[in-house]
Amino acid sequence: MLKRREFLQAGAALFCAAALPARATGATQAGAGHVVVIGGGVGGATAAKYLKLANPALRVTLIEANRTYIRPYGSSEVLTGHVGMDDLNVSYDALRSRYGIEFLFDRVVGFDPARRRVRTAGKRDIAYDKLIVSPGISLQYQAIPGYSEAAAASRAPSGWIPGPQTALLARQLQAMRPGGRFVIVAPPSPYRCPPGPYERAALVTEWLARHNPTAKVIIVDPKDSFVTDAGMQLGWHRLYGYNIPADYLKDMPADVVNSGRPAPIEWLRAKDGGTPRGIDSAALRVATDAGWIKADVLNVIPPMRAGKLAFDMGLTDAGGWCPVERRTFESTAHEHVFVIGDASIADAMPKSGFSANTQAKVTAQAVVNQLAGREPGEPIWENTCYALAGSDYGLFVADVFRLKDGKIAQISGQRYLPLDASKTRIRLAARYQQAWLKTFTEDCFA
Amino acid sequence: MRRVRLLVLGMLSLSLAAPGYASRPATDSAATPRSPVAAELRATLAAQPRGDLQRGKALHQSLMCAACHGETGVAPTGNWSSLAGQRAAYTYKSLLDYQRGDRHEDDRANLMAVVVRDMTRQDMADVADYYASLPPPPAAAPKLTGETRRHIEQLVRRGDPARLLTPCASCHGASGQGGNNETPALAGQSVGSLAQTLHDYRSGRRVTDANQGMRQFAQRLTPDEIEALAKYYASLSGKRR
Amino acid sequence: MGPLMKSPFTRSPLFKPLLLAAAIAVLTAWLTPAQAAQPTGAAMAHTCAGCHGTQGKLGRVEFVPLAGMAETEFKRAMLDFRAGKRASTLMGHVANGFSDSEIDAMARYFASVK
Ligand SMILES: Cc1cc2nc3c(=O)[nH]c(=O)nc-3n(C[C@H](O)[C@H](O)[C@H](O)COP(=O)(O)OP(=O)(O)OC[C@H]3O[C@@H](n4cnc5c(N)ncnc54)[C@H](O)[C@@H]3O)c2cc1C
Ligand code: HEC
Ligand code: HEC
Ligand code: HEC
Repeated sequence: MLKRREFLQAGAALFCAAALPARATGATQAGAGHVVVIGGGVGGATAAKYLKLANPALRVTLIEANRTYIRPYGSSEVLTGHVGMDDLNVSYDALRSRYGIEFLFDRVVGFDPARRRVRTAGKRDIAYDKLIVSPGISLQYQAIPGYSEAAAASRAPSGWIPGPQTALLARQLQAMRPGGRFVIVAPPSPYRCPPGPYERAALVTEWLARHNPTAKVIIVDPKDSFVTDAGMQLGWHRLYGYNIPADYLKDMPADVVNSGRPAPIEWLRAKDGGTPRGIDSAALRVATDAGWIKADVLNVIPPMRAGKLAFDMGLTDAGGWCPVERRTFESTAHEHVFVIGDASIADAMPKSGFSANTQAKVTAQAVVNQLAGREPGEPIWENTCYALAGSDYGLFVADVFRLKDGKIAQISGQRYLPLDASKTRIRLAARYQQAWLKTFTEDCFA
Repeated sequence: MRRVRLLVLGMLSLSLAAPGYASRPATDSAATPRSPVAAELRATLAAQPRGDLQRGKALHQSLMCAACHGETGVAPTGNWSSLAGQRAAYTYKSLLDYQRGDRHEDDRANLMAVVVRDMTRQDMADVADYYASLPPPPAAAPKLTGETRRHIEQLVRRGDPARLLTPCASCHGASGQGGNNETPALAGQSVGSLAQTLHDYRSGRRVTDANQGMRQFAQRLTPDEIEALAKYYASLSGKRR
Repeated sequence: MGPLMKSPFTRSPLFKPLLLAAAIAVLTAWLTPAQAAQPTGAAMAHTCAGCHGTQGKLGRVEFVPLAGMAETEFKRAMLDFRAGKRASTLMGHVANGFSDSEIDAMARYFASVK
């Protein structure tokens, strides 16, 4: 791929220096115009759909690199065989046929913000009035010494952007020797899907209990806490006999007593020496402050940043994420360009599919309003991450967010399933989690 | 023979149901719902334990029945069914159907499957008697008028010999208050769930009726009649006239 | 008002009544300073769609549809969730994020969806 400056030039070189029209596409009808969306993941697909719902007269083009989306949410279920790789595939047919969204399956490689044009690898150049970018994340494989994309593709998969690595990890788990160790290296914050690594650990532990009962899961973590940590550990304790660390124990229900016996799941936090310092992918070992951790299957979830496209387009800040004006998610780097989803900086909102979905709706409405010369409305966002401690043990974090002093803040109070939740409530939450995978996919892609 | 064995197995697994968190979801096995045999059903209902109303009331809260079916057993919105004033035998039978996986019209039944998983027969009898002790749901405002109303009342009270339709009232009672054994009360039930379940009998998705009684009746009804019957029963008060 | 003045929208016959409505809205907001600006009913309803379906429309799945629900039914459900009078797995948390008048606005929105 091109360096950033070349990337920008590649865009600029294409277009003759004609006088700038007020509207890049020359659309004159009030409220009409051409909105281009790059990235047909959760954020981009939802944005395209809700743009059309808000104003069917709008021309909407979605540019996406792949013809079929592979959904990341729910993808850890592939490891345990609960679903197959094919079940992760999501088609774009409904978006095209129901809403009249134009699709271009191509990779964006050029960008000219002054003339409001983007260019694709297939040499198409496309003018926009407004541009919504939802490029997702890029995995910083090299950020951990000894780890690399090549290692992830062969020895120690990450599987955090679902695809061949997910399938590889599933095969490795299934082929693991009896009594083997499945080691998960958790990422530093911020990262995609805060409860995700721990849910994955839980589902693998549950699967091992049935298929490889002497095996063990170890989470190596550069953090001391995570979203849903108390509820998740309570679930591990009840289901797998996990020993809850003393600092969490004091808030647990009275009947929770650690057995002290070795448990099939272990969480090695930063304060216990868990910070990963290096990966030996040949020997399948992780260097930590607590010494080498030897694995039989090694799942490394490396640090993350905004998707590469965001860097190429000059939308990122020094931290590697995209700063935006919070009311509309318009990029602070380029006018008429909006960045949503995992790549954006959204304060209290986690990097999740649910967040990307509600950001897309707020931004779609703001874009429609801008094109019609209206002020943006008052925004509101929501996130719910359902997570499983076992296939029959559901948890969640549920938040409503609003704009407060120019930042996005959680305003709905209690966030988690309470620790004293009844068994019925826990099981229903697990049931609803499964239902959500379907209803959510429909809201984004159908 | 096979059926009997299944039943015995069902009972066994019931008594073994562990109260721990690790028990497996019953819905995992994609067991095809099985229609009840009349004789078996009679035996099951004859063995229904006597319920404890106080325990039933407590279970109504602790098992979250109240969250979906309403604080007083009256559906909070048209999305759920009312249980108040229902015949105990019908509630008891329905809970067993859900537990065995014999009632599974669509994904909404998954919720009931989750809720009943650990319930003992005593628990089921307790909630069943508790609901039977509650006043039936209030009657909705009558929605039917003119010819439709006359047609539906005719269907309910006289049936339709040309279509071999037995009058609904002959089983479900003159005011929809319920009949013998497991024949349920229909009066005041939410329109949505009455109509939905009649469509489910009609399409064969609901197979909980012994001898296929309700299925045969529902197949002879038109979709319009189903909607109208649902509105009719929703507007009855369930009190004997 | 800058961009608004230039738009063809200002010339539309709807503009005057809307301006009046906006003025009243601004005034009301002014008179009740405690109340922050409120998102539209549709904007709030869109945040529910991941579970309750786009525009509250849903087939026969575990979650329930909200489209077409009577306003009184919707409001009672939301207020009961918020007050903890109706138990829930999660709706209590969600309802906690909305004021009475916002619940009213969502009720109107969902009741209007055909
Ligand atoms: C294991 C796991 C479990 C998860 N579970 C949950 C969950 O339970 N709940 C939840 O809310 N979230 C969950 N998530 C997170 C969720 O999947 C992401 O937050 C969400 O997908 C982010 O959406 P996005 O639009 O930002 O990015 P993505 O969905 O990744 O979409 C980005 C798209 O952009 C395209 N693209 C990138 N560059 C280009 C280019 N140059 N040209 C054209 N197209 C391009 C990509 O092909 C991709 O389709 C989970 C994630 C994982 C990994
Ligand atoms: C999470 C929501 C939920 C909870 C909690 C719940 N139910 Fe239900 N219940 C339903 C749904 C949905 C149906 C209809 C399902 C179907 O279509 O088969 C139903 C159906 C029923 C029926 C059949 C009603 C009829 O008219 O045929 C009975 C009886 C019943 N429930 C009893 C209970 C009892 C007792 C409890 C508590 C132990 C309970 N339910 C808890 C959602 C719930
Ligand atoms: C021969 C007796 C009989 C007749 C006649 C009859 N029913 Fe039923 N009905 C039953 C029985 C028994 C059940 C319970 C079956 C089961 O458990 O699935 C039932 C169940 C139902 C239910 C489901 C109730 C619930 O809460 O889910 C509805 C609705 C219903 N009947 C409507 C009707 C209507 C309408 C008619 C007339 C067109 C009718 N029935 C005629 C015996 C009868
Ligand atoms: C993460 C999923 C999720 C989201 C998001 C969500 N809900 Fe719910 N909703 C549920 C569940 C689950 C229930 C059943 C009650 C429970 O267990 O919490 C429910 C029940 C309801 C009910 C009661 C319906 C009835 O017929 O009884 C209403 C009303 C409702 N939700 C409104 C909303 C509104 C308004 C929003 C958005 C502001 C919303 N919900 C967002 C999951 C969700």
